[in-house]
Amino acid sequence: MNKYFNKDSFICSSCDKKQKLQSLVISLVLIVLFIFASFTFFNAVYAITDSLGAVVSGSIDVAIKEITRSFPIVMSMFMSIWGVLLAHGLFRNVNEERRNKSIKKNAITLLVFAGVNLLFIIIGLAIGKFRSLVEGSPSPLYPLDSILFSLVYVALGIFGLVYLKKLQDKIPYVVPSRGPIVTKARGLYCTFMSFWLLVVLFSFSCFWLGLFIYDFRHEYFFYGFAFLLVCFVNVVFLGSWEFYYNELKEENKKAFLLPIAIAALICSAISIVLYMVGLGTNMDAPSNGGFGILPVAFAASVNIATLIIVFTPLIVSVVALIKALVYRKKANKE
Amino acid sequence: MKANKLFILLPVLSLLLTGCSGATFDYKDHLKDYVFQMDYHQNFNILQLTDIHWSMNSSTHESKIYMDKVLKETDRHIKELQGNNAKIDLVELTGDMFMLSNAYHVSSFVDYFEAKASEYGFIYTAIWGNHDRHGIYNPNWLGEQFKNAPHCYYYEPEDNLYGRSNFMINLVKGNEVKWQIANLDSGASFSETSISPFRDYDYIRKDQTDWWLKEHTLVGESVPGIAYYHIPQDENTTLYNNRASYKNKFFKLERFADNGNEAYASDFLDVAKEHNLKGAFMGHAHNNDWTVDWDGLVVGLGVKTGQELYYAHIDPNSTDAAMKEGLASVGINEKFDLIGAALVTITDSEDNILGKFDLEHLYYNERTSGDFVRWVKW
Repeated sequence: MNKYFNKDSFICSSCDKKQKLQSLVISLVLIVLFIFASFTFFNAVYAITDSLGAVVSGSIDVAIKEITRSFPIVMSMFMSIWGVLLAHGLFRNVNEERRNKSIKKNAITLLVFAGVNLLFIIIGLAIGKFRSLVEGSPSPLYPLDSILFSLVYVALGIFGLVYLKKLQDKIPYVVPSRGPIVTKARGLYCTFMSFWLLVVLFSFSCFWLGLFIYDFRHEYFFYGFAFLLVCFVNVVFLGSWEFYYNELKEENKKAFLLPIAIAALICSAISIVLYMVGLGTNMDAPSNGGFGILPVAFAASVNIATLIIVFTPLIVSVVALIKALVYRKKANKE
Repeated sequence: MKANKLFILLPVLSLLLTGCSGATFDYKDHLKDYVFQMDYHQNFNILQLTDIHWSMNSSTHESKIYMDKVLKETDRHIKELQGNNAKIDLVELTGDMFMLSNAYHVSSFVDYFEAKASEYGFIYTAIWGNHDRHGIYNPNWLGEQFKNAPHCYYYEPEDNLYGRSNFMINLVKGNEVKWQIANLDSGASFSETSISPFRDYDYIRKDQTDWWLKEHTLVGESVPGIAYYHIPQDENTTLYNNRASYKNKFFKLERFADNGNEAYASDFLDVAKEHNLKGAFMGHAHNNDWTVDWDGLVVGLGVKTGQELYYAHIDPNSTDAAMKEGLASVGINEKFDLIGAALVTITDSEDNILGKFDLEHLYYNERTSGDFVRWVKW
């Protein structure tokens, strides 16, 4: 067991003190930005789902009116996700050149999103789309809060570019902290990773908000507990991948993946079984206990959000298992 | 115990304690707890507002302006017909007040109706729709907001009766109950099995029918009743398919969006019809306000209130047969949106209860060239 947590198994074992501190600070910033991204993503899912509901019901005029009013909510999601990508680019990179390229690309994208949002709100105020800076709904300070949020991300984007120009020589480069960039089936890989990130962003909000908005009365308790557990498993899986697996040295990644994948598979299977048992105790629980954490299920006919959240850990585990078996086959050949 | 173990155990314990707290009582033993009372008088006016749907995308400011106009027009209309002392007595909010909204929306909504209740002198009730459970707030907290609002009648006990909130409003004169208004939670949705990814729209359950019957028996078989709830039951579709046999009116431009499954059909209307229920009004399907007289029981959808989410655009040039049928029934020959409100006026004199009421649908559209306002009698 010790070898899995031996400090020599991790890339940071070869870092100096300053590099370790830098890595720790970026990790903390990444976590904060992830939390921002999770909540803004959740809000955006609410806004988009409502507009999709209008489209599906044939009121495209209402959908356009609604989504244009909520454009800053959607842009806040993009800003916060690109904030995560910017920080992640600092944290995980193959080499210094790749890191600089990633920071530049993500910082500029972030500035464009923030700029577009600020411009949209200013025009909205000028043409009367927003009656005032603090018209209200969905928050008392809307859209002023979105302006302030944009300014924070403008500052983050500018920091990214300043860092690139002035600070990079003063701050040491953290050793390569990710495997080689995938070249085979890159589109599929990127799609899968983006999907996984979005599911976990959503699951994190579900878990955290669920603690407060789910009705834990006895008749709904077991379902609520099981659902929050599934959300938690999603977050733990991504956290483990990011802060454990990706911290391992390349040779250890290959050696440890099979036991990790088997443990993940068992974990996800247990969470699915518990979810089914929880649902079995009260079939009304998802809608009566806290439908708010499942916005995509608005149509009531198919509970899409639940299916995605419940089965993503299983999909991730199976992918990890396949990858581990491929590694093992290659190792046996060599 | 080590501090880290305590750290893990505390949230689990608190969840368990929260989950197991709260005593559940048997509704059969507490029938009187479910009852509010209002003074009855001839021309008792009940305004139904439905499917307001404040959401993450809503401009609550604009929505309030719209509802201000609807309330003002209704008040004007009532005074014109019944005299200056007449007013809206009761506002029935028949579900989906919110969808994908948050605590700010809920607080603003309750504040708004409290202000309007003071201004116009009405009592309002909140009935759960499927989407009212669908926001960034705890459903219990939402119930608390209505429970604590001074002008709102709302009851949500920890009972063994299906739904979050079922309650009666008895309209009384002296000690005598003249009419009985039922407010039922028709639920949201449910899974038929734990492995099914599909969900069915909910329905009024057998225990709710039993509760209604017991409450009705308590006031007397001769007392006429009206029921308000959110999701149409299976009868709407059956009656629409046989509409040639019944008096019917208004628009039916989409399915009623009940679960359509015989195994989950409610017995509520079948039973209540035999026990002096005179009207059953609901919402849910915004493109419908179709109403039918089912051998003395008027079953109808209210008119969707406000411009949130979706609503039908009525066009006299449409080739759609259902739209033509609806237009012919209301006698309007211009374009308008199917939004507004529905008004029930109980016309029985205080001493002679016959179970009679008038029903009118208000179509109210805001327009820059002057608002479109039509009252259409049932």
